[in-house]
Amino acid sequence: MDVRSQVSMVFHLDKCIGCHTCSIACKNVWTDRQGTEYMWWNNVETKPGTGFPTAWEDQEKYQGGWEVKKGELKLKSTGPAKVMANIFHNPHQPSMDDYYEPWTYDYENLFDAPEGDDQPVARPVSRVTGEYMEVEAGPNWDDDLGGSEIYAANDPNLDALTEEQRQQLSAVERLVMFYFPRICNHCLNPSCVASCPSGALYKRGEDGIVLIDQKRCRAWRSCIAACPYKKTYYNWHTGKSEKCILCYPRLETGQAPACFHSCVGRIRYLGVLLYDAERIEEVAKLPDEEIVEGHRSMILDPWDPEVVAAAKANGIPDDVIESARKSPVYRFVKEWKIALPPHLEYRTLPMLFYVPPMSPVMAGKEGDSVYHFTDGNLFHDIDQSRVPIAYLAKLLGAGNEGLVRYALRKQKAVRLYRRALTVGDVDEESAARALREANCSVEEAEAIYRLTALCTFDDRFVIPPMHREEAIQMIEEPHGHRQSVGFGFTAGPKRGL
Amino acid sequence: MKNACRWFVPSSILGLVLLALGASSAGAQEAAEIFRQSCISCHTIGGGRLVGPDLKDVEERKDREWLADFILDPMGVLASGDAYALQLREEAGGAVMTAVPGMSHTQAEALLDLIAAESLLEASQFAGLDLGDEPFTALDIERGEEIFMGHRKLVNGGPACLACHTVGGLPQLSGGTLGPDLSRVFERLQGRKNLASWLLAPATETMRPVFAGRAMTQDEIVPLVAFFEDSARQRSEDGGTSQLLFLILGLAGAALGFLLADGLWRRRFRGVRRELVRGRR
Repeated sequence: MDVRSQVSMVFHLDKCIGCHTCSIACKNVWTDRQGTEYMWWNNVETKPGTGFPTAWEDQEKYQGGWEVKKGELKLKSTGPAKVMANIFHNPHQPSMDDYYEPWTYDYENLFDAPEGDDQPVARPVSRVTGEYMEVEAGPNWDDDLGGSEIYAANDPNLDALTEEQRQQLSAVERLVMFYFPRICNHCLNPSCVASCPSGALYKRGEDGIVLIDQKRCRAWRSCIAACPYKKTYYNWHTGKSEKCILCYPRLETGQAPACFHSCVGRIRYLGVLLYDAERIEEVAKLPDEEIVEGHRSMILDPWDPEVVAAAKANGIPDDVIESARKSPVYRFVKEWKIALPPHLEYRTLPMLFYVPPMSPVMAGKEGDSVYHFTDGNLFHDIDQSRVPIAYLAKLLGAGNEGLVRYALRKQKAVRLYRRALTVGDVDEESAARALREANCSVEEAEAIYRLTALCTFDDRFVIPPMHREEAIQMIEEPHGHRQSVGFGFTAGPKRGL
Repeated sequence: MKNACRWFVPSSILGLVLLALGASSAGAQEAAEIFRQSCISCHTIGGGRLVGPDLKDVEERKDREWLADFILDPMGVLASGDAYALQLREEAGGAVMTAVPGMSHTQAEALLDLIAAESLLEASQFAGLDLGDEPFTALDIERGEEIFMGHRKLVNGGPACLACHTVGGLPQLSGGTLGPDLSRVFERLQGRKNLASWLLAPATETMRPVFAGRAMTQDEIVPLVAFFEDSARQRSEDGGTSQLLFLILGLAGAALGFLLADGLWRRRFRGVRRELVRGRR
C-alpha cells in the first residue's frame, strides 16, 4: 500500500444555479493577463450542451485521455511514433474558433462619437487582433440553450440515448437542462503530465495538485491534446501553457480556492482523500463496467489503523490524516456514494466528483395546455427523470446507470424524509420505505441533509495543513527559503528557453 | 666567429644574384600565364586575326607607352577619343577589349616584352589553334553534345556547359539560364578559329575564374566547336518556352503535392464548432 494524500473536490450539481460567479472569480484572480483572455480555468456549462471548448467530450476528434491497447495503457493523442510525426504541429487540439475569439467593446465610441442622427454603439473589438469583429461564439455561448439544435443536440453524451429518447428531449414540455461547472480534475493518472515532452507538468507530491512549470514548458502543447477535459490552455503571449492551479497559494494559507469561496449556491466541497497510489495503473485499466467501483475502492479509510500506519510511513503528517477524517469529499464519495467522477472512461482517474442533479417534475401536454405530473407526490420517479439516467450515466458513471440511479434514489429519499419531518405531506411510513430502498439510514439521511442544506464554510472546506515547510525541504534549505520568499516571481514567464 | 664572417658576405651576394635572376624569369613566366589566361581568346601572335588583331610586332604599329596604357585601361583610352583605338573597335566589329582585373603597370610591360620576344620566334606558342576548314564529322558533333550536356566529364575538371548555358531544342527543361544562350555563339564569334581560341581560355569576368587552372584541352575544344557549328546551323534560340514549361511543371507538381497530402490526410482534425454550425444550417 502506497498511501498518498490528494486535495479533492465535490460539486453538488443539484445546487448549482449556473450563475458563473465561480468563473468570474477565477478570471479576476488568475486569467486577466494578456494571452489568457480566452482561458476559463473554471467554466460553467449547460447540459445537454457542447460546453467549452466546443464538444470537448468528443474524443474521436480531440483524442484526449488514455486507452487500453494490448493490456497496456496508452495515450490516445501521442506516442513515440506520433510525437515525431506531429513534432511541428499537434493537430488534435481546439482552434481559436473552438474556444472563442476573446473580445471587448469599443466603449470609447459611446463618449467620443461625433454628433449624428443615430445613437453611438459600442462595437465588439477582438482582444487578439484589436480589430472590429463579428462575435460568432463565446465560452458559454450555449448557456441555457437546453433545446438548441446546434449545441444541445450535438452533446456527445446524447449518444447513450435511444433515438426516441433524443426526440423526447427536444419536445417543448420535456425540455431540460442543468449546469455543469468544471475545473481541472487534478487526476490521479493525468494524461497531460504523461504527454509532456519537456516534463514541465507535475503532480505535487504532498497534495496532488497538477501544475505546469512555467520555466520548463516549451509550448509543445501535447498536454492540450492529451487532456480529455481540455483544461490546459496555451498562453499565446508567454508561449507557455497554463491551467487551474487549485489556487494553491490560497490553500497554502488556509483559504478555499477563489471559485469555491465565491460559489453562490454553495455547491462546492473540498477536502483531503487518502488513496492507494500502488493501484493507479491497475484501476485505470479496468473495463468501463468496473472502473467507477475500482476508482472508489482506491480511496482509503482514514480510520483504518493499517491505512494510518502506511500513511505515516509515507510521511503524511498526522494533521493531514486528521483532516482526511473530516473531509466532506470522503463522505460524499465513499460513505454515501452519491458523488461520481466525470467521464472515468477517459481513464485519467479524476479527483473531482459530482453529485448528479435531480430533474424537474415531469410534464405532459393535453390539448394546448402543459401540465405537470405529480403522481400523488411531489417527487418524480427516478427512472422517469427528464434528464435520462442513461445521459447522466454517460457523463458521470462511465456508462453505469446503476451508480447514478443509486445516487439519485438516495437524494430523493433524503428529500422525502425531510419533507415528512418538516411539511408533513409525506407520511413517515413511505419516507422510511424510501430510505430503506435507497440503502440509507436515518442518521445518514440527516447527515446528507445537513451537509447539503445547512453546511457552513468550515463544513464545506476542510483545508488540510499544507506543511510547506516540509515540502520546501525537498527543494531547498527552509531557512534560506524563508528569507527569499515574499515577492513571488521576480521575473514572469517569457517565450523561449 | 671570423670564419663565419668570411663566408657570410660572398654567400649573401650570391643569394641576391640568384634571387634577381629568379625574379626576372618568374616575371616572364607570369606574363606568359597572363597571356594564356586572358589574351588568347581574342589575340594570336603570328596566327592571324581573331576578334582582336594579331599582336605580332605590335610595337611597330604603336609605341610602347600607348600600348601599356591601352592594356591597363582600354575603355579609358577609347573614351579619350583616341583615333587608333576607335579604329580598332571598328575592326573588331564593335567588341571592346576588357581590362584584366588587378593588372599592374609592371605586368603590362612584361606582357609587351613577352609579345616582342614571341614575335621574333618562327612559330610562337600563341599562334592560336588552327582547326582547318574541313567539315566536322558526325562523331565530333555527337561528342561535342556529350561534353556540352555533361555526359562526358572535362579532363581538367571544368564544369559542364549545361550548368550555366543552354542551346535551343534541348529535351525537357533544357540548360541553365545563368549564362547566355549558345545556339548561335558560332556566328556571334565569327567562326571556328575565334570560337576555338575563346574556348582555350574564356576571358569574360564570370568564366575566367571558373576555368582558371581547369583549361579545356584541344580534344575537348574541337568537338565543342563542331557542336556549336552544327547548332548554329540547325537550332534556333530557345525563346523562353522552357522557362514557361518549368513554371507550369512546378505549379502542377505543387498542386499535385497538395492534393496528395489532402487525400492521405483526409481524416485530419478540421475544428469542431464551425463544422457543427455549418452542418446544422
